[in-house]
Amino acid sequence: MSDCALVTNVSEHDASMDVGNDKSLFEPTVDMMVHDFDDERTLDEEEALAAGEQQDPKAELNSLQREGDMPLEELLALYGYDRTMDKPIPQEPAPEVVPEEPELKTESALQQLYSETTSPEATRCLRSGSRPPSEEEDDYDYSPDEDDWKKTIMVGSDYQAAIPEGLCSYDDALPYENEDKLLWNPCTLDEKVTEDYMRKIGAMSSTTGIDAVPRGKQLRDDEEALYLLQQCGHNVEEALRRRRISAQTPAHASLWSEEECRNFENGLKAHGKDFHLIRQHKVRTRSVGELVQFYYIWKKTERHDIFANKARLEKKKYTLHPGHTDYMDRFLEEQEATGAGIVRPVSPTPMMDYAHSEPATQPDPLALGEKEVFSQLNAHTPPPRALSMEDQEPPSGS
Amino acid sequence: MAMQPHSKKRVCYYYDSDIGNYYYGQGHPMKPHRIRMTHNLLLNYGLYRKMEIYRPHKATADEMTKFHSDDYIRFLRSIRPDNMSEYNKQMQRFNVGEDCPVFDGLYEFCQLSAGGSVAAAVKLNKQASEICINWGGGLHHAKKSEASGFCYVNDIVLGILELLKYHQRVLYIDIDVHHGDGVEEAFYTTDRVMTVSFHKYGEYFPGTGDLRDIGAGKGKYYAVNIPLRDGMDDESYESIFVPIISKVMETFQPSAVVLQCGADSLTGDRLGCFNLTVRGHGRCVELVKRFGLPFLLVGGGGYTIRNVSRCWTYETSVALGVEIANELPYNDYFEYFGPDFKLHISPSNMSNQNTPEYLEKIKNRLFENLRMLPHAPGVQVQAIPEDAVNDESEDEDKVDKDERLPQNEKDKRITGDGELSDSEDEGEGGRRDNRSYRNPQPRKRPRLDKDVSQLKDEIKLLSAEDSKDDVKNISSAEEPKKDIAPNP
Repeated sequence: MSDCALVTNVSEHDASMDVGNDKSLFEPTVDMMVHDFDDERTLDEEEALAAGEQQDPKAELNSLQREGDMPLEELLALYGYDRTMDKPIPQEPAPEVVPEEPELKTESALQQLYSETTSPEATRCLRSGSRPPSEEEDDYDYSPDEDDWKKTIMVGSDYQAAIPEGLCSYDDALPYENEDKLLWNPCTLDEKVTEDYMRKIGAMSSTTGIDAVPRGKQLRDDEEALYLLQQCGHNVEEALRRRRISAQTPAHASLWSEEECRNFENGLKAHGKDFHLIRQHKVRTRSVGELVQFYYIWKKTERHDIFANKARLEKKKYTLHPGHTDYMDRFLEEQEATGAGIVRPVSPTPMMDYAHSEPATQPDPLALGEKEVFSQLNAHTPPPRALSMEDQEPPSGS
Repeated sequence: MAMQPHSKKRVCYYYDSDIGNYYYGQGHPMKPHRIRMTHNLLLNYGLYRKMEIYRPHKATADEMTKFHSDDYIRFLRSIRPDNMSEYNKQMQRFNVGEDCPVFDGLYEFCQLSAGGSVAAAVKLNKQASEICINWGGGLHHAKKSEASGFCYVNDIVLGILELLKYHQRVLYIDIDVHHGDGVEEAFYTTDRVMTVSFHKYGEYFPGTGDLRDIGAGKGKYYAVNIPLRDGMDDESYESIFVPIISKVMETFQPSAVVLQCGADSLTGDRLGCFNLTVRGHGRCVELVKRFGLPFLLVGGGGYTIRNVSRCWTYETSVALGVEIANELPYNDYFEYFGPDFKLHISPSNMSNQNTPEYLEKIKNRLFENLRMLPHAPGVQVQAIPEDAVNDESEDEDKVDKDERLPQNEKDKRITGDGELSDSEDEGEGGRRDNRSYRNPQPRKRPRLDKDVSQLKDEIKLLSAEDSKDDVKNISSAEEPKKDIAPNP
């Protein structure tokens, strides 16, 4: 799970730079690398990338195809499975046909390779041709030696887990002290009863405000309601009764105020997606975790679109220092990668309809509208853990 | 299709609503938010209410040091974004800083991830559930004293160590696009855990997982690596997954399975290079589930997060044996799933560099290794009497492995006999614990879904004949239900 997916191509970049004969050729790459080094690619951009990949130059496919046609022994040999390698390698598949070719190419081959990438007829294009160059520059380790990417599994007491001999039994004591909290157990209730209960809960809240929005035929699960039912020993009537009581005392504690929203956006402008800094300097009323949660909902709302457009306009008034890392600039670039086909809600309301689905942890993203983000159930039924600053502050003793 | 209908299982699901709030940092591809997106889809598909839901405990340092070194865990507990400068040296030593950044709540994140997997293992040990799921786990790169590949604490190793308290042999399968090096290394020298990893190999992180890496000492032949090249599609994947896993089940005869479901092996992954669809990925879950062993599912990689959440949602439904519609229900993150708003995804047109011949060669080579198990020279065979494998089919269903009590187990380990020399192909040698399927003793656990030999036939049939149809189905995103038979 790491960033080395494109090592092949990357190492070619670098190998070329090492050659150093024609540095100017590569300067833009370095530039881009610096500029984009730490760029966050959002889903939108990933989408764009995926689309881009599908149009990958035929050239690459061709070369892969040729490789696919290679005799098996050769392919295995490339992998280092020399067991079956009793035939000499035919001349035809020259290094450039073989992306995995581990050997460092000669200068001239590299230079040739590079000039080839500018030609549409290149037999082998680097992926950078079809992707934003930043993609592969993220963080990789360039290794000059052919097999440097290979690592070995280490053996010794510093590496292996100590495995106690034989089996054992818990008896009554669990192997750990802290409790796993049971939030819902379906076993004791008939499914129909559960569904019926959730329909009633749904009907209860749909009488007012935002919850009146119809939800279609899919019966979605309400964590909070199920937890309540669990608390009431699966007694539906009791759970409904408690729910009714709690419905009268809505809690709006976790709604975001307009000021918080604005501070958040200002923070984004100033610090990029360093939520730690945003929390420190802009939105002290929220934990870092809440900021992250808010961010993922916010970025798909109209409010975000307005924010991005506004920032884009402001941007034009200033000239950029080339090479200077500017969070806002980067942010906007990401937004531009957004596919035009993405449908946005005209207003963020639908989002809010569902925002209360995560009990006790889902702050209303936009602080518009009347809705309980979670109800104070009552003294006996504390809601699942609510976000709080303490929750987010490391370190925590264990 | 010759598929067994999904069977109903008791499924436990471990999730902490805080997990999505941890943020590795700007530009970092690992996004815990994907776990919350998955959770939200589960709610909106109505799958949540069908599972036993737990908010896992936070694993303590004591729990973590069952595998990790004290120094390392102490360091993880202490380090914070605002005191990093005091820890330069240790950061280097423990490989924390770049791929594995220091972020707010890092240690808590590790606690939740590890707590979920350990809790799930305990649940399985207590036979209180057949399948446990922890999408917040699966961090398979973490080493004993080192962070690696976005992983700090190896929840899988901790979970397996827990399972080993009740299970003589545990099988670990890893379908992340990256090699499961942390888990393999942790159990490299033991014959009680077999690690099987399918991964991209060649100029690729983490650089381990060569076909020839097979374990060491007592653990020789107990590490299985399937090195693959770019572009693996559903059909190819199944063509190698099915025979390898069948053979492993047959020879190793685990009594519990852990499957790491890294979703970076999906098509279009930001860091991956395979071409699997959600269906093909989920197929692995389905196949492993059919063996009917106590089953722990964990997450792992996965960097195109809309597809990660699709995948894990689908796999949760597979675990439950419930069909879900291809049309995504409305959810908090609905916008992320445009423009199609479907559950299933289509493969890309990238070429598959894994030729059938290549896969065949790998398979044969691995089969040779697996054949070595009963014949393995020297000490280790003696040390693992009844374990190791033997003949085909027959024996392996029976399997009330869970029924083996600790003392039984120890007793059994003392003696050795001639069965060890049975080659895998030579008919039915008896196993020492010859509880056969046909002569079942009282079970503490529901028995296997079906006779394994029958299962195997089915799977062979499947891979031989049905695979084409299957692939067609898989590529048709419009027909989500096609390969899912009705529930019994």
